[in-house]
Amino acid sequence: MLRRLKFIAALGVMLHLGWLASAEQRFPPPDFESGYRMPATSTPAARQLWLQYADAGVLLAALGTAVWLIYKQRSRRGLFWLSLFSLAYFGFYRKGCICAIGSPQNIACALFSPDYAVPVTALLFCFAPIVVALFAGRAFCAGVCPHGALQDFMLIKPVTVPPWLEQALSVVPYIFLGAGLIYAGTGTGFVICRYDPFVPFFRLSGGSFILTVGAAFLLAGMFVGRPYCRFLCPYGGLLRLASLASKWRVRVTPDSCTQCRLCEQSCPFGAMREPAPAGISPPGLGAARKRLGWLLALLPVLVAAGGWAGSKLSPAAAQLHPTVALAERFVRQQSAPVQYGLMTPEALSLQRAAGNPEAILTAAADLRHRFDLACWLFGGWTGLVIGLKLVALSLVPSRTDYEPDRGACLACARCFTACPNERVRLGWLPAAEKPAPL
Amino acid sequence: MNTARLHRALLLTAWIAGVYCLLVCAVMVYEHFAAASNDPWKSPQLLALKEKLAAQPKSAALQNEIRRLDQEFRRNFRQRLALDKSGAWLLLGGTLALVLAAGKAAALQKKLPLPQPKTDAGESFLKLAARARRALAGLAVAVAGLLLTIGLVNTSVLPANQAAKLPGQAGAAEAAPDESAPAPAEFQANWPRFRGWDGSGVAGQTNCGTNLAWRSPIPAPGHSSPVVWGDRVFISGGTAAKREVFCYSVSSGALLWRQAVENVPGSPPKAPEVPEDTTYAASTMATDGRRVFAIFANGDLGAFNFDGAVVWSKYLGPLKNPYGYAASLAVWGTNLLIQLDQGETPAEGSKLISLQAASGRVLWERSRPVSASWATPIVIEAAGKTQIITLSKPFVIAYTLAGGEELWRAELLDNEVVPSPVFTGGLVFLLNPASKLIALRPDGAGDVTKTGVAWANEENVPDIVSPAGRGELVFTATSMGLVKCFQAADGKKNWETNLDTEVMASPGIVGDRLVILGENGSLMMLRAARECQEIGRSQLPDKFLASPAFAGGRMFLRGTTNLYCLGPEAAPPAKQP
Repeated sequence: MLRRLKFIAALGVMLHLGWLASAEQRFPPPDFESGYRMPATSTPAARQLWLQYADAGVLLAALGTAVWLIYKQRSRRGLFWLSLFSLAYFGFYRKGCICAIGSPQNIACALFSPDYAVPVTALLFCFAPIVVALFAGRAFCAGVCPHGALQDFMLIKPVTVPPWLEQALSVVPYIFLGAGLIYAGTGTGFVICRYDPFVPFFRLSGGSFILTVGAAFLLAGMFVGRPYCRFLCPYGGLLRLASLASKWRVRVTPDSCTQCRLCEQSCPFGAMREPAPAGISPPGLGAARKRLGWLLALLPVLVAAGGWAGSKLSPAAAQLHPTVALAERFVRQQSAPVQYGLMTPEALSLQRAAGNPEAILTAAADLRHRFDLACWLFGGWTGLVIGLKLVALSLVPSRTDYEPDRGACLACARCFTACPNERVRLGWLPAAEKPAPL
Repeated sequence: MNTARLHRALLLTAWIAGVYCLLVCAVMVYEHFAAASNDPWKSPQLLALKEKLAAQPKSAALQNEIRRLDQEFRRNFRQRLALDKSGAWLLLGGTLALVLAAGKAAALQKKLPLPQPKTDAGESFLKLAARARRALAGLAVAVAGLLLTIGLVNTSVLPANQAAKLPGQAGAAEAAPDESAPAPAEFQANWPRFRGWDGSGVAGQTNCGTNLAWRSPIPAPGHSSPVVWGDRVFISGGTAAKREVFCYSVSSGALLWRQAVENVPGSPPKAPEVPEDTTYAASTMATDGRRVFAIFANGDLGAFNFDGAVVWSKYLGPLKNPYGYAASLAVWGTNLLIQLDQGETPAEGSKLISLQAASGRVLWERSRPVSASWATPIVIEAAGKTQIITLSKPFVIAYTLAGGEELWRAELLDNEVVPSPVFTGGLVFLLNPASKLIALRPDGAGDVTKTGVAWANEENVPDIVSPAGRGELVFTATSMGLVKCFQAADGKKNWETNLDTEVMASPGIVGDRLVILGENGSLMMLRAARECQEIGRSQLPDKFLASPAFAGGRMFLRGTTNLYCLGPEAAPPAKQP
């Protein structure tokens, strides 16, 4: 019964958000045929500089608070309230922008587009969580990211994703990151932001496609903990890498691990890892070493194959760029004309192209060249990611206790109170009931 | 309160909140779909009124009723948005109550896990790793397949190589366009644009017959004058629904082909309204000997080969012209020139455009500080430069042909400019309509308003008909039929005569004859000399507004209903194919 009620609650939240988002539909403009000119579309002024710095200050303060709550207070409740604040501030107040998840695109755009200067705040939003992750793991995901907070609140009945599937899908964020960077680097646009499933909810405005995707993620998030964070978030991929090298790491127990396995089931994100297996036979180890050697040798082949496959994607991928898309439409229009409506974006863009077709076509050709290289790099990157993951899956870990995976752990602090030692530390259990280490 | 009772209370609260949320949701969903299916913009009532308005466009009552309905629909729409927002907040409140109650109830019933020790850790680890590798390999194959499929399905129509190989303005012809230009002598022998190869109205031939060789019906209205190249004569015509080019045989008058200018990229499906007196095809076509070009008042510009196939097309509109666009195209070598003056003030987008005739590629484009005009530019060789002379209120401006750079300008025009300029005897002759005939030296630089005028005459100046000039003499004709002859060098009037007929067509000069075509069909021949002498006069059964064309010893006249060819010998009328 409780599950049903929670389901209704989650459905209610989704409907509410989706409803507000879809309520932004526009009423069509009147038919003016009397010479009236529609007012020019105006662009809202940029956010004031001091407010941008204030956003960065809030980010830094929230990151610091998250680290303090994770490592000093070991407080799930504190992280919950911090998440709530982040959801309200970075989500609904700042409407998902500026956002650390999309910020690597700003960097890529600045690197490859000479006429784009990356704002200092974008730099801070991009690098501050990564720097924190280098020292303290994914504190950003734990309590600062509004996307994570929204999914966290939707979680009703977490089911365990099969670990083999979890491992295989963990490469997807890197592939998405690669795609986002090449599109940003070629000046096409920020596809990570464009296809962000939650920003439309924050903004109460969005297309039906992305609203549907967002609703699907929230629905899935009722049973699968943070599906976007684990299987798609490109920034999460970066934080995962940084966390692998983090100076401090989240520990379930404040003392020694009793190997009671109580913590194993407390993580809804499949991040808990058991101690290194002790019962692997020598023949099994030999096969594992041989496999590792083969996979290392295969790595360049995977990169080359990925690059080749990526290069085949180039003509199609380039069509997402507005200039290339316009050139394509313009040329197609000559051979197979399509009658577009009066004053539609298509008709207006074709009119613009007809004014100076050479410029459009030349620019499209230049972009196609850039995409040739970018797609090759994207394919090679994809091959590298898959190859490295295959290698990682052929390594035998050396841990001795139950502990969270450094990269996968979202530092949500749910596992802390599952540990009997932590309960003793908190005074929830008498010291006499402290279990003895195995 | 004990735990069991608290749990029941929380559950009850959660259920009430849940039912409340569902009810609010149901009402909102119903409202949403009801609103979506009753799109006020597609209201039958509104659409019916709009149809009525189309039939009675000046009905103030209908207009007011439409405005009232429109406002009512908008008000309803805004009210619905406000209701949506209220409903959403009600829903949020209910959801919060539900979450809090259900969460608290769940916490009261939470059961702790009781895991057992694991004995097969090593084996299960190896199995898990193997399965994950297989899954990853499957994912890799799926990703590669997806990339390749996307790449294969979404093909590009752009060439893979450099932009130079891209079609400038793709057309039906696949082969590389012939970018060569015919020899100047060929241009002079034909009639490739409005008023002949150089726009002066002077024919390359020295005589032409006046016998009716043939006449052929014109399928669509228009005032564009004929252009002639080789054995083909071209005219344009059209309506709001369709604009076309017509090609006739010079020898027989047969309509060889007709081709519509349609599906032009960017061109709106509904053509703007153009005054009936102007028509959609007032602009005379032009040909470079390889292709023929036509522009219409809706802004569509099309290029066709001599077999009628579309070579390229482009939309240059919308054209802001109070009487409808009527300036004609000009061709010089491989350049197609378009004087696109528009608006009622100098800042409304007037421009001069040079296109590569073969491909339609824009060679250059210059903004012009002038308002709308109806005059056609001419290209002259003067002061060591190839100059484009343009007229429009308030400036005469000369540009270089090569790059469109402005050479000089003179502020001499203060009326709406219809007559086109001519160049003869080293001077440019232009009309400030109904005000002045001006002779201008084309060798200046910068502002030549005060320095460039050689002479001017202010007596009975034409307002519509362009002058004609040949060597030492310049001729003007007013729309009331008053013809004058001036000395080109000093503006001395040699003679004037009143033909007693209205004239809209600009005169032509063939050999030593000045040909003037009256609106009522009177075809008058005068001696193009210092002394006035009327050689002959004949009558055609049509109304004529377009100017005559001369080529191959023949004269081509466009009436409102027929195209006429006058030649040395009479021939039977052509049969239509």
